[in-house]
Amino acid sequence: MSSDAAAITLVALRKTFGDLVAVSELDLEVQRGEFFSIIGPSGCGKTTTLRMVAGFEDPTAGKILVGGRDVTGVRPYHRSVNTVFQSYALFPHLDVWENIAFGLREARRPRAEIATRVGEAIKLVRLEGRERARPSQLSGGQQQRVALARAVVNRPDVLLLDEPLGALDLKLRAELQTQLKDLHRAVGITFCYVTHDQGEAFSMSDRVAVMNAGILEQVGRPEEVYRRPQTAFVADFVGASNRLRGRIVSAHGDGRYRTEIEGVGERSVSGAAGLTPGAEVTVVVRPEELELSTASTAPAVIAATVTDVAFLGSQRTVRLESKVVGNLVASTGGGTRAPELGSEVGVTFKDEHSWAVPV
Amino acid sequence: MNLRRHPVSAVLSALVIAFLWLPLVVVFIGSFDTNSLLTSWTGATGHWYNEALHDPNVRDGFETTLIIAVLSALLSLAVALTGALWWRRAHGRARALYDGLVYARIVVPEVVFASALFFLFLKIHFTLGLPTIVIGHAVLNSAYATLIIQARLVGLDPALEEAAADLGATPWRTFRRVTLITLMPAIIAAGLLAFTFSLDDVVTSYFLQGTSQSPLPIVLLGMIRFRITPEINAVGVFVMFLTVALMTLAVGVFSTAGRLGRSSRKSRIVSLYEG
Repeated sequence: MSSDAAAITLVALRKTFGDLVAVSELDLEVQRGEFFSIIGPSGCGKTTTLRMVAGFEDPTAGKILVGGRDVTGVRPYHRSVNTVFQSYALFPHLDVWENIAFGLREARRPRAEIATRVGEAIKLVRLEGRERARPSQLSGGQQQRVALARAVVNRPDVLLLDEPLGALDLKLRAELQTQLKDLHRAVGITFCYVTHDQGEAFSMSDRVAVMNAGILEQVGRPEEVYRRPQTAFVADFVGASNRLRGRIVSAHGDGRYRTEIEGVGERSVSGAAGLTPGAEVTVVVRPEELELSTASTAPAVIAATVTDVAFLGSQRTVRLESKVVGNLVASTGGGTRAPELGSEVGVTFKDEHSWAVPV
Repeated sequence: MNLRRHPVSAVLSALVIAFLWLPLVVVFIGSFDTNSLLTSWTGATGHWYNEALHDPNVRDGFETTLIIAVLSALLSLAVALTGALWWRRAHGRARALYDGLVYARIVVPEVVFASALFFLFLKIHFTLGLPTIVIGHAVLNSAYATLIIQARLVGLDPALEEAAADLGATPWRTFRRVTLITLMPAIIAAGLLAFTFSLDDVVTSYFLQGTSQSPLPIVLLGMIRFRITPEINAVGVFVMFLTVALMTLAVGVFSTAGRLGRSSRKSRIVSLYEG
């Protein structure tokens, strides 16, 4: 394989099940050593994409390259790709050690090498002392780590992870997210991670791809996707956002647009590329960018009533109702004084914190 | 009022149990009776067991029965396993048809199948004998074997086989290292069940034996027609214990299958399969 080839290259990949289009014309490149995530709601085609890379599903059309080698039509057992399954799929009749050794045994590695590598993998996922335990005797988190070790011990070019934390409780998830990230750094294998949880993907990934209904909506660094969503779907999916209706008045050319926002007035707003004057847009403002003032008379302020205040520890979520723009959500620091329920407030946001996407 | 504790239901239960078990008790006692006509109890002896053991009729019958039972159990397993594996991937009508054929073999009276097979073999000029009995038993017993194997297959997570393939195992290796091992308890249980059912079959054997040596149940039937002796009781007791032992083993293997892998002793058995 050439050293500069991408870890995974998908070319016009398409998969249909009968009439259902699961994945449609997907073009994607995952760089070597990258922690890459595919996110999207359930049924968006992310798992199907992963299964095609693993070789469990044959694409209807298109090509799959792993490390520059075309593996379209290559059976799963001939791909240097390993998978961590959502259900872990540990072999119940084998103990931890034998589960991890499975791939090396199939590759007919020498006995001594298997012993060393399995030992290293067990140490890597901190399961020392549990070598002879059966999967059924392990906790969910431990099972998950066995599944990880079983995959990375083979040193694949790409590790595919299909919602591996989906079955775990919140606290354990957070813990394992950190461990996954550490593991990724330690082994240097390309990770391709599939999840419906954008927070999880953002916290671990170098880059994320957002999919919806079989279509790739956007690929980019987490912050980029979060701050500069290219479509209304992405804006909505990657985080609770306030959506204001607007229309482009003129384009500045540097990705900024003079935009007439309903109920707010004309503002200079950044936005997705290619918006033309007259285009209907949704202007997105993140909850944490909304500023609340109790008795403001400044211009371009949205008058709103506080309908709910929820205390979340480090922050507060304030729900507002405005006669002109509808419902809004604002996050404020948990330490600041909370606005009174039912009180009238003024809501503002800075130009640079707004972002226009096509409707 | 608790109906289950009511004296009437207690008496009824006792009667039902007596009805079911008394014949076996009588056979058991009769097998030790010194009175060869079994008209009255005249004292205990183990003589009849010795007699049965050395009766060439019984010995040949038992030998034939064992051969038929082993061969038909193996044939049942082959039919059931391949069928069940196909059934797992089948969809729609084909799958429903297969299910129907399995249940039909259980529901339709044995005598119907036995006579149908009899006419079939006659029609195709296949000489009746030991092979036809084996086939006849397998036709019926493979249905039970199929149900047992299917029950285990349903619980087999397809992700396990995908995981094996993902880790580099070829389809054959995956079948051996994952599918077959998971099914092994069901295969053993199904085999024992088919063996036991073949052991005490009369109807199918009777129709399909032709002029060959009769299996034990038919030998017994012939003996009874001639004369009832404690020897028959002794053979009956022997077969009874053999059957109970096998069934216990079959049930034991299948019910512990769910807990497969919990005990270290069992894990050693499993690793034996793995070779």
